[in-house]
Amino acid sequence: MEPKRSIGLAVVGWLVALIMFFPILWMILTAFKTEQTAFSMTPQFIFSPTLDSFRTALDQGAGYWHYALNSAITSVISTLIGLALAIPAAYAMAFFPSKRTDFTLVWMVSTKFIPAVGVLIPIFLVYKSLGLLDTDAGLIMLFAAMNLPIMVWMVYSYFKDIPRDIVEAADIDGAGTLQTMVQVILPLALPGLASTGLLALIFAWNEAFWSLTMVDHNAATLAPFIASFKSAEGLFWAKMSAASVLTVTPIIVLGWFAQRQMVRGLTFGAVK
Amino acid sequence: MASHDTAVAGNTSRPSGRERGTRVRRRRVRAAWIFLTPMLIGLLLVAGWPLMRTFWFSMTDASLSQMGGASFIGLENYLVYDDGWYGVLADSLWWNSVWNTLYFTVVSVGCETVLGIIVALVLNANFRGRTLVRAAMLIPWAIPTIVSAKMWAWMLNDQFGIINHILISLGLIDMPLAWTANADLSMWAVIIVDVWKATPFVALLVLAALQMLPSDCYEAARVDGIHPVRVFFKVTLPLITPALLVAVIFRALDALRVFDVIYVLTSNASSTMTMSVYARQQLVEFQDVGYGSAASTLLFLIIALITVAYLYLGRRQLGGDS
Repeated sequence: MEPKRSIGLAVVGWLVALIMFFPILWMILTAFKTEQTAFSMTPQFIFSPTLDSFRTALDQGAGYWHYALNSAITSVISTLIGLALAIPAAYAMAFFPSKRTDFTLVWMVSTKFIPAVGVLIPIFLVYKSLGLLDTDAGLIMLFAAMNLPIMVWMVYSYFKDIPRDIVEAADIDGAGTLQTMVQVILPLALPGLASTGLLALIFAWNEAFWSLTMVDHNAATLAPFIASFKSAEGLFWAKMSAASVLTVTPIIVLGWFAQRQMVRGLTFGAVK
Repeated sequence: MASHDTAVAGNTSRPSGRERGTRVRRRRVRAAWIFLTPMLIGLLLVAGWPLMRTFWFSMTDASLSQMGGASFIGLENYLVYDDGWYGVLADSLWWNSVWNTLYFTVVSVGCETVLGIIVALVLNANFRGRTLVRAAMLIPWAIPTIVSAKMWAWMLNDQFGIINHILISLGLIDMPLAWTANADLSMWAVIIVDVWKATPFVALLVLAALQMLPSDCYEAARVDGIHPVRVFFKVTLPLITPALLVAVIFRALDALRVFDVIYVLTSNASSTMTMSVYARQQLVEFQDVGYGSAASTLLFLIIALITVAYLYLGRRQLGGDS
């Protein structure tokens, strides 16, 4: 049934979109203001735009680029490590399921729901003794582990869509397990793997709890950068908005490509 | 299909099929273990083992400055009688944060579910620009919580915030409201931000379910002249219940652990302090590892209990349907 077009619904639909998008629009507008215009008693919709705030955010000694570089390094490498661990695990569970497979899958989800404060101190202490505090390597390991359950579930759900006959066939043709995985299955699942990676990348980029707790300055990502704008430092809203726009842009671009996959990943493959 | 045919052909051309079968199976079991082990070790190292450590710390008097000198004190961090009751379970601030967490979870997930269904129904209709609107919906939860929380803090600013400005020009309020500073309002400020961020998630889940619905029952309902509202409650709602249950459990588990929105908007204020914020304050700011670990353990147990209860009830409900 193709429902007929309705003006009323279109209005409601666009209104919803406007409400959803308004805070982001306001952030973008604020980013192009001077601190004084941003801080006026009557919020301005019409003003002469300036790039000053962006300039300050990008300039400032070790400003934006230091944090952006850390964010890029930690999210890309943690995603690669996550994929390297998740693909074989998902492969084993999808193509050679055993009695324990369901249990393993559920157990993995349950680890995702451990509150971060519940594991904070033990990890902090180990990191301290290993010298991993305030390092990219330390964050990379945490991000990879944090994304692992979702990644395994997503890859698993993509592998599940591939007929098992294909693995049987490769096996009988004498291909080894690793060879079957790399040469037969991975190319078939490539779109799924790409979107899994994209999702993990976005989550790592957005992560805040660990990057606020385990990091001082050296390995600080964009989350502590944004969080560092505090009212004690005078007027900062325009600067903060500019920094936020710079932080969000890569995510919006990536998110655009990963729309459907994001829903799938966030629900552990429950919705395809 | 082509590969399937070769498989059959390949199988028949080799005589010792059964012997080969067991060898292949044994090789597969070994491969499966080798493939699974790195992931399992990784998860055990960052989830399993630290959780056990936290559980252990909760029964010691450890503090961050002297972890070495910690000694076992049993359940004293939880509850102890020493001329009055002490421990997490006797701390009114803890119970306050438990209440705040439950209140936050029920109200925000409730709003998100109702609004999410409405938005999904709208998006499921056919109107101009639907694809664009649907894509725009994703933005709120694709951007980092820390950014959205800061953005809302700016919009909710009592003197210069756009929200107060809009409300005043609409004549809804006379005076600017101190959204994040006023103890009566700050919980609502936090809920508004969470609802804004998470409603699209519920809406997209419901939308996916709506698009799988069979169209013939709607056709029948339309022919019979049944009111659309009645159709929604009698036909649509039961059919999307499984998707709703998934959405609600995911949202609830996030809401029960909520930390970053609250920390950015209201810091450690007691009117919005949730269990995660309470535990983090004890652990990091007061450096009281034993006590904070007891709070973390209780938080974990509460979440586990709610999850098990929910899954049990959800399964019973779904079992009744099928």
